Amino acid sequence: MELSHAIGLVQSYGTGRRTYRVTMMEPLPAGVPGGAAVRLHGVSRHWGSVAALDGVSLEVKAGTFCVLLGPSGCGKTTCLRIVAGLEQASGGVIEIGGRDVTALPPAARGVAMVFQSYALFPHLNVAENIVFGLKARSVPKADRARRLDRAVEILGIGHLLARRPGQLSGGQQQRVALGRAIVAEAPVCLMDEPLSNLDAQLRADMRREILALQRRLGITMLYVTHDQTEAMGMADQVVLLRDGHIEQDAPPAEVYAAPATTFAASFIGTPPMNLLKLSESGVIDGSVGPVLGPARAGLVAGIRPEALRLAATGIAARVTHGEYLGADTVVACTVADGQTLLARLPGRVGLADNAAVKFEFDRADLHLFDAGTGRRVSTV
Amino acid sequence: MSTRFLEILGAWLLAIIWVLPLLYAVWTAFHPAEFATSFTLMAPLTLDNFRHAWDAAPFARYFINTTMLVTLILVAQFLVCTPAAFAFARLDFPGRDTVFAVVLVQLMVMPDVLLTGNYRTMAQLGLVDTILSIALPYLGSAFGIFLLRQTFRQIPQALDDAARLEGCTLMGRLWRVYVPLAKPTYIAYGLVSVSYHWNNFLWPLVITNSVNTRPLTVGLSVFASTDQGIDWSIITAATLMTSAPLLVAFLLFQRQFVQSFMRAGIR
Repeated sequence: MELSHAIGLVQSYGTGRRTYRVTMMEPLPAGVPGGAAVRLHGVSRHWGSVAALDGVSLEVKAGTFCVLLGPSGCGKTTCLRIVAGLEQASGGVIEIGGRDVTALPPAARGVAMVFQSYALFPHLNVAENIVFGLKARSVPKADRARRLDRAVEILGIGHLLARRPGQLSGGQQQRVALGRAIVAEAPVCLMDEPLSNLDAQLRADMRREILALQRRLGITMLYVTHDQTEAMGMADQVVLLRDGHIEQDAPPAEVYAAPATTFAASFIGTPPMNLLKLSESGVIDGSVGPVLGPARAGLVAGIRPEALRLAATGIAARVTHGEYLGADTVVACTVADGQTLLARLPGRVGLADNAAVKFEFDRADLHLFDAGTGRRVSTV
Repeated sequence: MSTRFLEILGAWLLAIIWVLPLLYAVWTAFHPAEFATSFTLMAPLTLDNFRHAWDAAPFARYFINTTMLVTLILVAQFLVCTPAAFAFARLDFPGRDTVFAVVLVQLMVMPDVLLTGNYRTMAQLGLVDTILSIALPYLGSAFGIFLLRQTFRQIPQALDDAARLEGCTLMGRLWRVYVPLAKPTYIAYGLVSVSYHWNNFLWPLVITNSVNTRPLTVGLSVFASTDQGIDWSIITAATLMTSAPLLVAFLLFQRQFVQSFMRAGIR
């Protein structure tokens, strides 16, 4: 495993009164399956004339963490449910571990799933919830107990086993849901916005923990979220979806450094990339300079807010509002023809509203897109 | 303030009017016959009325008949309504809503209207004067299907999905997820069904004509008929005996009963 940071890492943090400690240094127990590759070939899902998913093809390598990212209604959850087998694709082929599973029922696909609502059975206690699937599959009792013990040890929920889901906090319920996915020992784990019901602090903790868990078990993870922080922080591979098709499929660093489309550019980053319409002479529409792109009609220039710095020359702008965030300040400005420009400047920057400023940036931080198609244009 | 006072007064009034016959029955049953129509605080208490009533008619047999009847109906209703309600709640098949509407229409048909029709059917089946014949018209219950369907629909789809993913078959999901989560509804419906059929009178009166099949209600009316002479003490004692099991059951389950009706989708 290349990720040495997962080895020897001890995390401890509190949720309410209880402190969990998750040790990530034990070797993988024998007999636990690693991950399996997941492939989608031209998968579509139509409801009448509406396409929730339109010819999506992607490959998730065995043992990697893939995040399906996108705004609500982009088809990411549909995609996940199709991989799980909870929904049937209208067209296309799904392969898990090299096996065509398109026609298989969910239980035969070798996937475990964590639901947004956790889907814990309210009439069963924690232990019964975790081994529910093993019972349904008639796994022998001794084996059941062994797997339960292992999951309980990994998640540190030994003291909760006799409780009902209704008596647990959100974070504890999340752990039980993870436990159910762990005991399944499936090579692929699917997660549908598992952290969206947790508060910010707990979410950050669980993010680290889920990642460490995936590394430790070596399983393939398919993770759905609309939160770009989760995607950037956890993924080996980010699949950005929009209106049922893939906008970009790349490692997070690449999605950030070289967004394939204006949509990808405006979805990733806090605040997202500035997109400025250019005139035919390559300057920002309505301004006299500087020249940002080649002299060509229909281009959009993209500059990340954090790539901008105050200077004596450069893009002229007028400050409309400054937002001090502690480590840095986000300054909102308008440029020549009223387009908005956000700059993220380190530290506290005191700029009066309406002040005239100029921003400079490195040429390497400039991205160009075609205004019509939204696609990236190679920088000249 | 005064509205609240009026409300409390009204509630008490209704409660007293409701409970008066029961109080009269209790008073009469535990006192000798001469106190049936006169109230004397120090009247002697007696259990003779119960003994006489018990000896005067085969109440033990009637009890067995009624118990067999309500058990048969309840078990059959659960077995029939559960899959039907599940199909209406969670399965997708053409004509589902139409069929469900037809089931609901059945709620509006008074069973008494079908008295002669049912009798003819039972006669053709050769079942007249059997316990099965009393139960048969009630084995499928539109009310039970409706109530369970509402409950099943409120069970989150994610639980169903999770069970499916964990390898449960259709019956497995029904048995491991839906039925346990609908337990309060089963209890509430069970109480309604048991009390209805425990008290049901007209149909059993028509279809039965022997001691071995007669339920308590019919037995009680035969016992209280004028040719025996009207002795209110004994009649009230017999009435208390026959209704006691229901009263006890309701007192035991009343909390769950009321709660689940508040939750079970009658909105």
